[in-house]
Amino acid sequence: MKYLIMCKSLTNAQRAALVLERRGIGATVVKAPQHLRANGCGYALSLYRRLGEAVSLLKSAGLLTGKVYLREADGSYREAHENDLSR
Amino acid sequence: MIYLDNAATTLIKPPAVARAMVRAMQTCASPGRGGHKAAMRASGLVYRCREKAAALFNVPDPANVVFTMNATHGLNIAIRSLAKPGTKVLISGYEHNAVTRPLKALGTEIIVAESPLFDQAACLRAFEERIRGAELAVCTMVSNVFGFILPVYEIAALCERRGVPLIVDASQAAGVLPVDFQKLGAAFVAMPGHKGLLGPQGTGLLLCGERGEPLLSGGSGSDSLLQQMPDYLPDRLEAGTHNVPGIAGMMAGMDYVSKMGLPHIMRTEQLLLHDTVSRLRGVEGVELFTGAEGTQSGVLSLRIRGRDCDETAQLLSERGICMRSGLHCAPLAHRSAATLDTGTLRMSFSPFVKREDVKVCCAAVSELCSAAG
Repeated sequence: MKYLIMCKSLTNAQRAALVLERRGIGATVVKAPQHLRANGCGYALSLYRRLGEAVSLLKSAGLLTGKVYLREADGSYREAHENDLSR
Repeated sequence: MIYLDNAATTLIKPPAVARAMVRAMQTCASPGRGGHKAAMRASGLVYRCREKAAALFNVPDPANVVFTMNATHGLNIAIRSLAKPGTKVLISGYEHNAVTRPLKALGTEIIVAESPLFDQAACLRAFEERIRGAELAVCTMVSNVFGFILPVYEIAALCERRGVPLIVDASQAAGVLPVDFQKLGAAFVAMPGHKGLLGPQGTGLLLCGERGEPLLSGGSGSDSLLQQMPDYLPDRLEAGTHNVPGIAGMMAGMDYVSKMGLPHIMRTEQLLLHDTVSRLRGVEGVELFTGAEGTQSGVLSLRIRGRDCDETAQLLSERGICMRSGLHCAPLAHRSAATLDTGTLRMSFSPFVKREDVKVCCAAVSELCSAAG
């Protein structure tokens, strides 16, 4: 499963990626899909594992600035629910 | 050529600076302008430079490090963010035109905390006496004309106690003296990349304690549907494509500074200063502007009796010696030091100046003095 953590800015995404990397969670900074951004262009973190841990780490670092999405098998995205964060 | 105009621009850079710039030109596209590899490589480079600057200047969040074209650019952003027509702005008597001209252009009410050269206690007292009613303060860390190290940390503490926001011009300090953003508690700290940080011209940093008002509006690669600049840093203050090769070069320069260490750089420049002063002190007709230990950086102004400073600089240039002459874009500093009518000749050092350079330069100055006498 692919997850997207939307970020306020590119710099925010880069800082968040480093925080995760330091805890052994691989995350890539990617351009966020347009339809997930209310105000147009922006960046997100893409990751495949340890979503709950990543969200919790970013929250405690004050770096969780956007919504979290899951990419479904058909390519669509849905916003993550509380129970998705245990993944 | 002997280059002693480092207070304007350090000409001799670590070789890694040019190498980093060429590499960036060949491999990096625009940060924040796409998700492809060349854009992301540029984004990574720019972010690493933000992190490096944040570490060097003790800024808690790299997002608060904004890239500018030079210190003047940063100071203009800072001043226009905090001042409006009629704002009472307290400044030191040693500010550069990069501060006074934007304040004048905005129509602010400028209050000058005048104080004698190299007298740090008097400088602080002048701020204390005039701060009542001030709505903003601007202070340079080091005079670009005389190398006078102002008591900026004490002035910052005073501003904090009085609730007056402070803008610091670290143009002559960055890369030479400790610039501690959190300790200063300033609203903004502006600096160039091309002086003590040993980067290329066209680069600078603005350390932001506040969100700031954009001087330029345009593409930021973010929130493109909005017709205002984003409300977050650094995007808010960085419209248009970044100077990626410049940033790469500045980062290499900062690496060099970090590796050498500020104490070593300051010590090197102090040795050169002392050597120069001891060689010129006894020379008939030379007037040196020097301060007590701890009050002067590696910048030395001088005058030669009977000689115009610009003509002298020209004669020195013909001998392969690069020194600056005139008012150095800081008439206020000359007013404070009573040198406004003549200007000064200025020697300014860097870690790449050799003692042999100083020896040759001092010999040339002495010779010109004899000819004038």
